[in-house]
Amino acid sequence: MSDSIQLLLFQLGARVFAARAENVRRIAGPSLERPEDGVESALGDPWDPRRGLVVEVAGEERTLLVDGVLGLKAVPDSDFQALPAFARDVLPTAALAGFAMLDEVATLVIDLPTLLREGKGAALAPSEETPRHA
Amino acid sequence: MPERNSAGRARVQKAPRRERGAAAIAAVLRAHAGGDYKKRVDLEGLADPELVAVARELNLAGKKAQERSDEVAARMEAVRVGLDEAINAMVRLVVHGDLSGTLRLAASDAALTPLIAGVAQVMETLKRFVREIRDAALQLSSSSAEVLAAATQNENSTSQQATAVHETTATMEELKGASHQIAENAQMVASIAEQTLSATRQGEGAIRAFMESMEKVRRNAVEVDEAIVKLSRRVERIGTVVEVIDEIADRSDLLALNAALEGAKAGEAGRGFSIVAAEMRRLAENVMESTREIKNLIGEIRESTHAAKEASDGNKRMAAEGERLGGAAMASVTGILSGAQGTSDAARLIHLATQQQRSATEQVVQSMGEIEEVTRQAQAGSRQATGAAAELARLAERLAGLVQRFKVE
Repeated sequence: MSDSIQLLLFQLGARVFAARAENVRRIAGPSLERPEDGVESALGDPWDPRRGLVVEVAGEERTLLVDGVLGLKAVPDSDFQALPAFARDVLPTAALAGFAMLDEVATLVIDLPTLLREGKGAALAPSEETPRHA
Repeated sequence: MPERNSAGRARVQKAPRRERGAAAIAAVLRAHAGGDYKKRVDLEGLADPELVAVARELNLAGKKAQERSDEVAARMEAVRVGLDEAINAMVRLVVHGDLSGTLRLAASDAALTPLIAGVAQVMETLKRFVREIRDAALQLSSSSAEVLAAATQNENSTSQQATAVHETTATMEELKGASHQIAENAQMVASIAEQTLSATRQGEGAIRAFMESMEKVRRNAVEVDEAIVKLSRRVERIGTVVEVIDEIADRSDLLALNAALEGAKAGEAGRGFSIVAAEMRRLAENVMESTREIKNLIGEIRESTHAAKEASDGNKRMAAEGERLGGAAMASVTGILSGAQGTSDAARLIHLATQQQRSATEQVVQSMGEIEEVTRQAQAGSRQATGAAAELARLAERLAGLVQRFKVE
């Protein structure tokens, strides 16, 4: 399976994001985890945080509260498009890894460890309209 | 006498002269017996002395009888004259009406004394009668005037009475019509009152049925309320169970996600694991979807039961209000029924009374008609009495005038 990547699809607010499955240590339910473990991110706040994505950051587990986990999907490498270099230089965050075509829809692939490490200060403005098609 | 005559005729036959003398005496005797006392026996023609003596005595007796007869005739003449005077005097008194004086006659024969006394007594009696008649005539005149005045007044009164009776009769006729109308109206009122009473009784029955229905509604509402409470508890119980199921499904979903995550991390080795996890997750999602639907249904049932509870509470309140209003209506209708009963009784009594009044009025009208007729007759009689009194007054005046002609003082 070297020619595909495993993406975890999650919903936060009104938008659907993707993240590499290997970056998620486990999925937690908010009722099972301590709410204070959830961290704010540049993706904005969830409406109804029912799931938490537990990520190891610098040897510690940090949880990104999300509205839901939609599932896991294997995406061919050809459907993943890394963020161009000039875009990485322009954007205030380094948590945006690239785009993946999921059912013909361009979905942002988030680098969760970077996102949780940056915190809310390197915000990816919620109002910004992220291009959904590469 | 026939025997003497036959004997004389025998002696004449024996002695003719003596017989002629006796015949002359006999002739004179027959004249005397016939009232002719002037007849005398011719003494010269008698030869027999005995006959002469007899003839002489006979002549003397005849003379005395003549004298006596003349005396009686004179007295008779005097009496006749006295009677004529008395009669003439009385006639004059009667004709002239003068009874004030006394009867004075020129004749003074003692035989007239009783006559004069009788006439005087008659005159006194006449005077007394005239006085009494005059007094009676005066009284009669006065009384007849009073009778006339009274009769006139009576006639006027009778006329006024007739007018009043006529007006009263007309009024009673109007009253009779009014009584008839009142009786009909009273009958109508009694009928309406009876209908009102009947309708009120029906209303009472309807309210009683309404109250029974309200009681049933209230009981049903209580039963529905209890059923809703039970249903609500069951729904809550179901909700609790669904929550548990939902939580289990969520945990299953979470486990399946983690399993899928682990399978994805394991690469090709975890592929089967990922498939099972995906299936588990699909089942969990199905369960959660079902529980969501159940929750939605429970929510709808809650809303419905809440609405039903409110409706049931409203029904209970409305039933209680209905019972209260029904009770008030029943109390009112009971009062109305009592009033309607009283009204019906009173209307019936009024109807009866008005019928009696109408009957009495008709009787009064009939009696007034009779009274009017009697009054009319009395009026006619009064007129006749007035006429008679006037005639009586005229007669009294005439009588008084006649009596005035007699002077008694």
